Amino acid sequence: MIHRILIIDDEDDIREVAALSLETVAGWDVAVASSGAQGLLRAAEYNPDAILLDVMMPGMDGPSTFRELRKNPLTAGIPVLLLTAKVQSNDQRRFADLGVEAVLFKPFDPLTLPNQIAGILGWN
Amino acid sequence: METEGRLSDALEILWKKFQPQIEERVAVLEAANRALAEGALTAEAREAAHAAAHKLAGILGTFGLAEGTALAREVEGMYGGDAALDEAAKRLSLIVAELGRLLSTRGS
Repeated sequence: MIHRILIIDDEDDIREVAALSLETVAGWDVAVASSGAQGLLRAAEYNPDAILLDVMMPGMDGPSTFRELRKNPLTAGIPVLLLTAKVQSNDQRRFADLGVEAVLFKPFDPLTLPNQIAGILGWN
Repeated sequence: METEGRLSDALEILWKKFQPQIEERVAVLEAANRALAEGALTAEAREAAHAAAHKLAGILGTFGLAEGTALAREVEGMYGGDAALDEAAKRLSLIVAELGRLLSTRGS
């Protein structure tokens, strides 16, 4: 099945490598946004099966973006996976407490990222 | 196997595309280290170094440079927070030099 994924990340290198991974390895359709505000709009119009959301972004950060996604009936039910380079356990707990599906860590392996996401979301 | 090969080829193209940006982040760290050595590190330069190290930690391993991610995380930890860095200057200099070596070894 071809899934639709929205990647929201302000870092263009991460965005492009993640998109490459999901498109090349899994054959999924990918849309991207470079900010939380742009991500909110893109999520509502693209209606993805899941959102890969960076934590640290200027302006609206990942947790704030997640809360806004949950407020909008169009995006409230979309599973969100946070993507972060923060590895400290207190950060991990804080992110998990938000209510996201999972917290994934940078750096990720482009070869296994789709399988990791599919496993979390029960797409296998 | 075919997918792995296509991914690997495409990753090399992205590496070439983003290598200057990654090297620029290392340059930010080098500039902060120089300022630290001269006793002239500003709060802004420290924050810029912290952000650059964070971004390097997130991307280098994705391009197969796991050691680079570990080194960048160490720099991120040192430039993050408010602790004095005077005693860390030598270590920071060594780490950032090693990061530069790793990038040049991976090549263009």
